[in-house]
Amino acid sequence: MSKNKIAIFGYGNHGKFIAQGLLKDGFEITIIESEKEYYKCAKSDGFEKVLLLDVTNDEALKSVEIEIFSQLVCVMDDEHLNVFVTLSLRSLFKDAYILSISDSLNVTKKLKMAGANKVIDLYEVSANKIYNILEKPVATKILEDFVNHRHGITFREMLIPPNSFLDGKMVDEIDFSAYGVLLVGLIDEERGHYFEFMTAGLEHKLDSGDTMVCLGYSKDLNAFEASIKLKEQTI
Amino acid sequence: MKETLLSLALFLNRSVRYQRIKQFARDLLFDSNSPFKRYFDVMIIFLVITSVFILIYEVKNPVPEWLDNYDIYFVSVIFAIEYFLRLWVHNDLSKMIISEYNDAKFLSREFNLYGVLKEGLLSKLKYMLTPSAIVDLLAILPAYRPLRVLRVFILFRVFKLLRYTKSINQFVDVLVNKKFELLTLLFLLIFIVMTSGIAIYILEADKNQNIHTLFDGLYWAIVTISTVGYGDISPVTDIGRAISILIIVSGIAMISFVTSVIVSAFSERLTELKEYRIIEQVNRSKEFLIICGYGQLTKMFFRQNRMDMKEYVILDTDEKRVELAKKDGYTAIVDDASSYTTLSQFDSTHAKMTVLCLTSSDVENIYITLNAKSISSKIKVIARVNDPASINKFKYAKADELLMPNMVANTMIYTAITQPTMYKAIHAILTGKGIANIDEIHVHHSHGIVHQKIKTLDFKSHKLLFIGIQRRGEFLFNPSEEETIQPYDILLVMGRKISLEHFKQLHEKDIYVKK
Repeated sequence: MSKNKIAIFGYGNHGKFIAQGLLKDGFEITIIESEKEYYKCAKSDGFEKVLLLDVTNDEALKSVEIEIFSQLVCVMDDEHLNVFVTLSLRSLFKDAYILSISDSLNVTKKLKMAGANKVIDLYEVSANKIYNILEKPVATKILEDFVNHRHGITFREMLIPPNSFLDGKMVDEIDFSAYGVLLVGLIDEERGHYFEFMTAGLEHKLDSGDTMVCLGYSKDLNAFEASIKLKEQTI
Repeated sequence: MKETLLSLALFLNRSVRYQRIKQFARDLLFDSNSPFKRYFDVMIIFLVITSVFILIYEVKNPVPEWLDNYDIYFVSVIFAIEYFLRLWVHNDLSKMIISEYNDAKFLSREFNLYGVLKEGLLSKLKYMLTPSAIVDLLAILPAYRPLRVLRVFILFRVFKLLRYTKSINQFVDVLVNKKFELLTLLFLLIFIVMTSGIAIYILEADKNQNIHTLFDGLYWAIVTISTVGYGDISPVTDIGRAISILIIVSGIAMISFVTSVIVSAFSERLTELKEYRIIEQVNRSKEFLIICGYGQLTKMFFRQNRMDMKEYVILDTDEKRVELAKKDGYTAIVDDASSYTTLSQFDSTHAKMTVLCLTSSDVENIYITLNAKSISSKIKVIARVNDPASINKFKYAKADELLMPNMVANTMIYTAITQPTMYKAIHAILTGKGIANIDEIHVHHSHGIVHQKIKTLDFKSHKLLFIGIQRRGEFLFNPSEEETIQPYDILLVMGRKISLEHFKQLHEKDIYVKK
């Protein structure tokens, strides 16, 4: 199972965008479609591995080597079909990591029941955005720029490599602002596989294997990412 | 005569003072936003209530003279003044005369004073004949002492209160809509009452000792047809009883008919009346939302329970969706937000009005945006864009904020696949869950933290993460600790909601200490 192999079910509104983005980032993508139109569209967009199968047929699904994919992404345009595919995949492949898209609360519930590991609601984030625009317009604007990499400031996750100078240090001991980055939160493996924000006010010890999420300018983030590989603190 | 009137009109028209007084009277009587109107209304209502109370009290008890004088003179004089004020501001004679004079001069024809005077006075007379003007006039009449009968006209003062109740106007409106049915029934009623009243008079006047005049006959017919039946006059002959049977049966039929006409008229207008009330209520608040379309996005929006809900109303053209919204417990009306009349009902001049275009059709959303902006550029519009290709169109339509649910969802999925840890972080930040709430602190010039260094503010011990400063349109990310806060900065801070509230409160306090 390679981390970079991803199967996308559906090449409709969402599938198209996601597949193209992933391709650019060097992921190996296989697209599975049941609609001829979309199949042709995917082919002409330059994807090599495009399969046309009847996704409602279990035998057809079994014929795909699902085991090689790290993630299965269900983004079919038809929500009924999407739930059905999620359910079939779960029943056929117990260990697969399935990500699905939903367009309403009811569908989210159904997808969770069908065994999707992660469900992304089409409207949840947007609905929140309306609220945020009304309540805190400036913060919303800047935040959006962060997410869309517009100011050159972005979020980035980084794994603390073994033998890093960060290994074994408390968060308070490190002066992150000297690197021009902000530590937003981290997964402290000692505490369990949960993401925790710094603002929760807990004391964290950094270990190799922990994942940090930082905010900063791309070039500062690059420099920081490079420097944490070193044994000695350079700044 | 002609010359004097003309020069008087010119003088009045030029007099700033006269115009100001007239405008004040107009505001006092009609402008519901004028502060004086409220006091004036309260005073009139008070006068009416006391006057009627004195009338009732007087029946069995002696009334002190000062109270009687108050009732007769003071109240009546105020009412008379009000009556003449209304008559005065009804139209502007001096302006009419001048405009006629100018027209005459322009066309070099003879200046016809009497024509324009007649026109103006006729219009005033027309006003005097409207029901409300008649009520006002009758309310003054009791002041005429020699005719004690006129005292009963004090009751007309109660009718003055009708001016202050909108429901009566709506009731009248409903009845006017059914004018045809009601008039038909009225004529039928008059016909039956007349024929049976005359018949009973002819047949029984000599046999029945209770029927003396034709009026007795008509009175009997009305009492019987209305099924009231006092029984003071009753038919004694067989033929008289036969007539009774006929008019009782037709009376029952007619009453049920009238009732059903009125009931159906009301039920037809009921939703409209309710919607009118909703709009009224929304308009009363200083800040409100108009949400167009009740789809998935709107539902999700309402799911944010943490919202301290402002006044809002949902507009949707589809009755089914409005029903659904009502079932879910939200205020919704069936109306087309893309029509000018719908949106212009809302008060955008006095209140902060925000329109959310959340329908699933871009065409519809653009139309609503344009519609709102054409009514007033003060209206803030947040529009949903479904097809990224139409972003520019929304920008031309001057939408203040754009939402792209598809794009946002795509970015989220993309992040979830490529960087699962960060997805969690971003998702929590964007949905503002618990500890990941990013908020802004607006620094005003007397704020406690002005001119302090970031170092001294010590965000860390408040369990807050300081992200940056928005200063004069530029964003300073993660500024150095030596940076000082300036007035009108906006600080971007992340943290638990309570930490943020606490921090805000702590420094709000400083303002008062400084003062």
